[in-house]
Amino acid sequence: MKRIRFSPLLFRRIHKWMGLILGIQFVIWALSGSVMALLDMEKVGGHSPSAADTPALDATGYAAVASLASGADVTGVTLRSLGSQPIYELHTPAGVRLFDAATGAPLAIDAAAARRIAAQANDAPVTRARLLPGPNLESRDFAGPVWRIDFADEENNSAYVSAETGRFLIMRGDTWRTWDFFWMLHNMDYLNRTSFNHPLIVFVAFGTLWISGTGFYLLFKSFSRADFRWLRRRRRGARS
Amino acid sequence: MKVRWPLVVRRTHKWLALLVGVQVVIWTMTGFYMVAVHISIIHGDHLVRAPKVAAFDLDDVVPVSRVLAAAPGTSEVRLQRLFGEPVWRAQTAEGPRLFDARTGRPLPPLDETQIRAQAQRIFTGEAPIVSARLLTEIPPEIKAYEPPLWQVEFDGWNRPTLYLSPTTGELMSRRHQLWRIFDFAWMLHIMDYDERTDVNNPLLRVATWTALAMIATGAWLLIWAFPRRRRKKKA
Repeated sequence: MKRIRFSPLLFRRIHKWMGLILGIQFVIWALSGSVMALLDMEKVGGHSPSAADTPALDATGYAAVASLASGADVTGVTLRSLGSQPIYELHTPAGVRLFDAATGAPLAIDAAAARRIAAQANDAPVTRARLLPGPNLESRDFAGPVWRIDFADEENNSAYVSAETGRFLIMRGDTWRTWDFFWMLHNMDYLNRTSFNHPLIVFVAFGTLWISGTGFYLLFKSFSRADFRWLRRRRRGARS
Repeated sequence: MKVRWPLVVRRTHKWLALLVGVQVVIWTMTGFYMVAVHISIIHGDHLVRAPKVAAFDLDDVVPVSRVLAAAPGTSEVRLQRLFGEPVWRAQTAEGPRLFDARTGRPLPPLDETQIRAQAQRIFTGEAPIVSARLLTEIPPEIKAYEPPLWQVEFDGWNRPTLYLSPTTGELMSRRHQLWRIFDFAWMLHIMDYDERTDVNNPLLRVATWTALAMIATGAWLLIWAFPRRRRKKKA
């Protein structure tokens, strides 16, 4: 049996073979990382709006909470504004129910309401409002049915409004869509684009550790004094 | 003149690697840590119990108008629980305030004993509390939050730390050693050594595109790295 010698040759072999097997992903990581560093995070967005400018509620004029026709056990109650209208949001095991807080009448988030809510975050004209039964790739951080409101602006923005609570969820534009494609390439979760802890990426990341580790070692073996002659020559030139 | 591509590409690969080699090693190491430790562990989901969901007796709570009269400028009112008892939580411009939902009386901020009890209720582990401090200055690890906040540290290698609101006793954030390592790895990964948030900083942009060129030339070199016809070994 041949003894394994820890020589530059062995490291070069590991470097070469791991490069052959995982090189494509290494290139893709570098590329997607470079693009994500280049895309302006302000334009990518993806942060939900802050609740800073919500109006103060009037002190009186509310229906009693117990009078609301929740139809089930109530596990949570919220009184808040929807636009300028105060509403009750009741959490029940069967889902979220909304009520007009003044009259106590049940409330549903229809297309018109969803458009109104979305328009608060975007002045551009609305081109389309669609009700989606569940989250899509763009609204994947939020569970439940959503309204997707498309705007006619430069970014082709789409606003997502919860059809259950009427809350504004998120705005997605073309910069985000580009970013998200490269994020998918980076996290290798080609279906859901969310997880970066799946076995495939752990395996490939472990392999690339070997490419970079051996490569770093080979740096010390790949340069000879002759490679730096131009430096010394320039220095000598500067002195004379 | 004929270009000797293998030589040119090899030289480029070598010199670019000299420039960004250290950072590429850092990227692969920090990247490996971030993929190997599951993000739900990093977030500390295993450290805290989800609040129990139970039905409220709505005939037994005071009307919201009582709360709104006592806390003008409120933008949102929520019915929730504190130590199992129903409370109205009013979100005012100055922060949240609590009211006993049965009597409508305003509740004072939680004292240290209550905060410790609340932290023990939330924490899933068995470890005792090491320290409980009311912070008036926000430590960097929770820089998105506003003071004051209670910081409750538990014993253990992982140093689980819960941050609770003094006015409502709600869990605001949780941190532990693995999160702190992740945050440090993230800082090295995005090369923003001050704020750890700017993924568009010029240093990162230059380093990533240089690394891309270095790695792409490396991939190019693979063409010549495996000679098709092997020389016969001499016996």
